[in-house]
Amino acid sequence: MILTRLRRLAAPAAIVLLAMLAGTPVRAQTAATEASLKAAFLYKFPGYVEWPPAAFASPDAPLVIAISGADDVAAELERLVPGRNINGHAVVVRRVREDSLRGVHVLFVGRGDPAARAVVDGGRQQGALVVTETERGLELGSAINFVPLDERIAFDVSLPNAERAGLRISARMLAVARRVVPKA
Amino acid sequence: MKLPRFLAGSLRNKVVVMALATTVVALLLSALGLVIYDLRAYERQATTDMEAQAEVLARASAPALSFGDPRTADKDLSVMRARPQVLAAALYSPDGKLFATYVKSGADVPAFPPAPAADSHRVADGQLVLFRTVIENGERIGTVHLRATYQPWDRLRDYLIILFAVMLASLALAAVLTTWMQRAAVGPILEVSNLAHKVRETRDYTLRARKTTEDEIGQLVDAFNEMLAEAGRRAEALRLADQRKDEFLATLAHELRNPLAPIRNALEILRLAGSDPEKSLAAREMMQRQLAQMVRLVDDLLDVSRITTGKLAVRKAPLELQAALRDAVEIAKPFLESRRHKFNCVMPEEPIVVEGDRTRLAQVFSNLLNNAAKYTDPGGQVLLSLAREGNDAVVRVRDNGLGLAPESREQIFDMFVQVDRTLERSQAGLGVGLTLARRLVELHEGTIEAQSDGPGRGSEFVVRLPMTYARIADRPGEAQGPRDGPGRRILLADDNVDFAVSLGQLLSARGHDVRITHDGAHALREAEAFRPDVAFVDIGMPEVHGYEVARRMRAAPATARTLLVAVTGWGQENDRQRAREAGFDRHLVKPVDPAEIESILEGR
Repeated sequence: MILTRLRRLAAPAAIVLLAMLAGTPVRAQTAATEASLKAAFLYKFPGYVEWPPAAFASPDAPLVIAISGADDVAAELERLVPGRNINGHAVVVRRVREDSLRGVHVLFVGRGDPAARAVVDGGRQQGALVVTETERGLELGSAINFVPLDERIAFDVSLPNAERAGLRISARMLAVARRVVPKA
Repeated sequence: MKLPRFLAGSLRNKVVVMALATTVVALLLSALGLVIYDLRAYERQATTDMEAQAEVLARASAPALSFGDPRTADKDLSVMRARPQVLAAALYSPDGKLFATYVKSGADVPAFPPAPAADSHRVADGQLVLFRTVIENGERIGTVHLRATYQPWDRLRDYLIILFAVMLASLALAAVLTTWMQRAAVGPILEVSNLAHKVRETRDYTLRARKTTEDEIGQLVDAFNEMLAEAGRRAEALRLADQRKDEFLATLAHELRNPLAPIRNALEILRLAGSDPEKSLAAREMMQRQLAQMVRLVDDLLDVSRITTGKLAVRKAPLELQAALRDAVEIAKPFLESRRHKFNCVMPEEPIVVEGDRTRLAQVFSNLLNNAAKYTDPGGQVLLSLAREGNDAVVRVRDNGLGLAPESREQIFDMFVQVDRTLERSQAGLGVGLTLARRLVELHEGTIEAQSDGPGRGSEFVVRLPMTYARIADRPGEAQGPRDGPGRRILLADDNVDFAVSLGQLLSARGHDVRITHDGAHALREAEAFRPDVAFVDIGMPEVHGYEVARRMRAAPATARTLLVAVTGWGQENDRQRAREAGFDRHLVKPVDPAEIESILEGR
């Protein structure tokens, strides 16, 4: 109930502030910091997403986060995940190509991927949570799209795209999204 | 047990105080229990409540913390507005920096701690301070901090205010209920109490308490009313008795005064008439009649006194009733003749014997005859009859006079009651004759009743006495037998010189040898020398009183067999008793009737 209300209040202007510290000037952040933030987001998204049971071979099967065309983010993520797990799943980071998307749970398609649309489609067909960082990311078919906002990073969510991949996104996460594309 | 002052008052106060005290005590006890329980529960509840609040807040703000969104976090915290007891709330990021804050508007709270503490809660300055770590997906992503009011004393104060209000309401309710109860239960008792008070003040015994219930109170009311009725009857009876006594006293004064005027007149006639024997005789006779009337009145008075003190006594011996009747006729005859009544007396030849006192029975019948003569117009008829009916001797006195109303038949036997107060007072008497007659007949185990066919048709008084069959026994006093001839030696001892001398002259005139003395010592000396057959001794004499004289005369051989007659103004039974003990044979009460002395002398 509270969450529903929170979401309703927050949704029209959902922004993720880059600053983790109150009063710290955002403009001082570097590109490396942007990459590490995105890595942290990618690591946290799975906590609010529900995969179909078939997505994991076993309850303790690892959760695979695949990075395509964003090596800096991949590097940050690789640095972040060792020894950690999400909902009982160990986290594995994989740098991928279009042809090796099998078994991927989260797919980040970076701005540097020339064949973004194909990768996004592939990821969705594999039932992965596809995250993009381009202006029209959601139109490409991703479920989540990072957007810069006032020199900060926020994200939009497309529920239809997530649904097409067979995923359910927690309403609690929607509360902090900048924009949510509702179900048809 | 001594009651406190507020309980010592009226029943009404007691009931009110009891009801209110019960209410207050019950409320105080229950409130005390509730307050203790609640204050204990309050801390537990306040803590768990804030823990839960922190838990909810942690969960709600977890995404905001996860994705570093302070604005959303602020919004998350601002829902605390719905919890007024929460004064301030804050979120800390995992690195221990303040991430979002909320302060209740108008709340005066200290600055947020710069760094979060470990999970804990504590009470400080009337506030509950709480920290709780936020864990999301198994990871510590921040800390929730809450600051809430914690004021059990405020709560206690609220409690006391509520208790006070409840108590006021309860007391009001108790007062209303008590009033109602009083009307139902105590009301009738109070009514009886008020009535008792009123009766005591007004002496109005016709008042009655209202009976409203059939329970014990109703019985109380009934009993109270019965007692009132009884008290009323007694008060009325007392009033009537008092009234009759007043009337009697008035009558008595009148009756005693009446004969004095004719006596004074006669004395004057005697003085003026000088030696005219006819006028002197007439005057003397008048004086004699009036004196006899006065003596009768005083005798009646003495009898009244005996009746009221219960000392009326009869000395019973086997008695031929005809003798008593002849005595009565003797007494009543002058009055009957003066009223010119035609009088008849019917008595059987055979002796009818009863156990009785001749003098007293004669008094009864003479009273009846006098009544008949009195209440019959002059020239009427009066019939006295004696007959034997079974084992009863029945005496009837019948007249053709005024008669009696049926309701008067019993009443006339009451003291001081007279049938017709319009009668000429010189004949009225004191209204004790019938009372005395009935009492005397009762002392003889007999009955007396009045019969009449109604006013103006005459009346009949019937006396029934149980008969005895014993022959008249020889009395011990008569064993000596009378002496031949009238001449007896008589000693008179009385310090009333007039009385002694006049009696002496009377007796001398009848042929007796009379010696007169005026004191006890003289009497004793005279007695020894004179050896009298009969001695009339006054009790109240100077030097040696009558009792002593009698004892010494009995002791002396010369006078041991003398007939001793006490002559006194005191006729009470204990006086007679004392005289008997001293050795007197007979007892005469002044004024002495010469006929009585004559009968004593004849009996000797």
